[in-house]
Amino acid sequence: MVAATPVLRLEDIHKSYAGQPVLRGVSLELHRGDIKVIIGPSGGGKSTLLHCINFLVSFERGRIFLGDNPIDPADKPALYAYRQKVGMIFQDFNLFDHLTAIDNVQIGLVRVRRIPKREARDRALAELARVGLSAHAFKYPAELSGGQKQRVSIARALAMDPEVMLLDEPTSALDPELIGEVHAVIRNLAAGGMTMALVTHEIGFAASLANEILFMENGLILEQGPPAAILHNAALDRTREFCAKIARLHPAGRETP
Amino acid sequence: MDLSFYTQEVAPAMLRGLWVSIGLILPSAVFGLAIGVLAGTLRVYGRPVWKRAAEIYGLIFRGFPLLIQLYIWYFGLPQLGIYLSPYAAAVLGFSLCGGAYHAEYVRGALRSIKQGQLQAARALGFSRSRAVVSILLPQAIRRALPGCGNELVYLIKYSSLAYMVTCIELTGEAKILASMFFKYLEVFFVVGAIYLGLVSLASWGLSRLEDRAGIPGFEYARR
Repeated sequence: MVAATPVLRLEDIHKSYAGQPVLRGVSLELHRGDIKVIIGPSGGGKSTLLHCINFLVSFERGRIFLGDNPIDPADKPALYAYRQKVGMIFQDFNLFDHLTAIDNVQIGLVRVRRIPKREARDRALAELARVGLSAHAFKYPAELSGGQKQRVSIARALAMDPEVMLLDEPTSALDPELIGEVHAVIRNLAAGGMTMALVTHEIGFAASLANEILFMENGLILEQGPPAAILHNAALDRTREFCAKIARLHPAGRETP
Repeated sequence: MDLSFYTQEVAPAMLRGLWVSIGLILPSAVFGLAIGVLAGTLRVYGRPVWKRAAEIYGLIFRGFPLLIQLYIWYFGLPQLGIYLSPYAAAVLGFSLCGGAYHAEYVRGALRSIKQGQLQAARALGFSRSRAVVSILLPQAIRRALPGCGNELVYLIKYSSLAYMVTCIELTGEAKILASMFFKYLEVFFVVGAIYLGLVSLASWGLSRLEDRAGIPGFEYARR
């Protein structure tokens, strides 16, 4: 098989906050349909990495390619087009608080893509149906549960036809009983072949979904490989120690099929 | 008691003055709000030079007494060859001064919105300015509404300063009438009550507006 160009490629990303290095040379490739799960302790740079991929935070060194095209954040129209291709899901949802679920999903289509309102509305309804929220289309974020909010935010990202989805701890802010519904939606995306990078502590879920797990600490990807290898047979002591700890906190039984 | 003074003299003068006052208040409210939203937004999200300009604007127009501002527009500008009518000078003065205060409310409201809102908009491909206009301002204006409403209530009352630059509105008419008949107590009581009526009307309208703008998550606690 010929190695295809990755959908998304990061090359040696360096980032520091106030002189403190947070990312110390991270490279990553996502091929079509890849699901890479990033695990690691807090402060290790996982979330910053996802934010860098979307250029939501700037970084000092390194390059990002969508397909063959390097992204230049100074070229604003290209950057805005790129961000539509890279859907971002945040830990605390960040739904637009003054808009109903359907308006949250359609506002990007109307204001960014300049799609006619009726068409955008149909698309938004379809995306809400895809995440199982047709019945809640006209509710405001304050009237939705955390799990529903996160599903709306996924629908909102999907409406822009992303090629890649970045999910930054999508279930960390949720009550345990609401996690399942968000996981189900992510599983559906995976089944549909969506390329994803997912940061999570839900190790069982990660294991059942990922084709690769990356262990990240101190701004570096220390180890990566298939779930079984990383979770049960890691080369580094540190990875083994972390996986053992997190497995106790997030028992795999809940999620592993 | 002879009521003919009230029906013959007070009523027509107050009615004349009322129309002039409303003619001052309404455009000043609209321009003031527009200036305030613009200046407040620039204070938070403008490029450095605009941010600085908006800061200086706020400093000057909240720092100079309003009466001095009116004197400058009406009596000062002619020295530069610019002649404003009393009405134009008053509306200009009220709009610029009100705008400086509205800007503070809008600025505070914008700052109170979580950074995640802007981040989410940018992640969808919004430019910063488009995100500010379509996502942040609709939320900020809802939050600024009580403060801006208060400023409108002030405007109703400080519109009485227009008479100092010879724009004869309610207070001007009252002053003329009172000195003509030497009935200060009666006339000023009536004119005060008219302002009270205007303020009550505005407060009622503003609370209706707050109710209409209130959406789940943005309602104001009220008892």
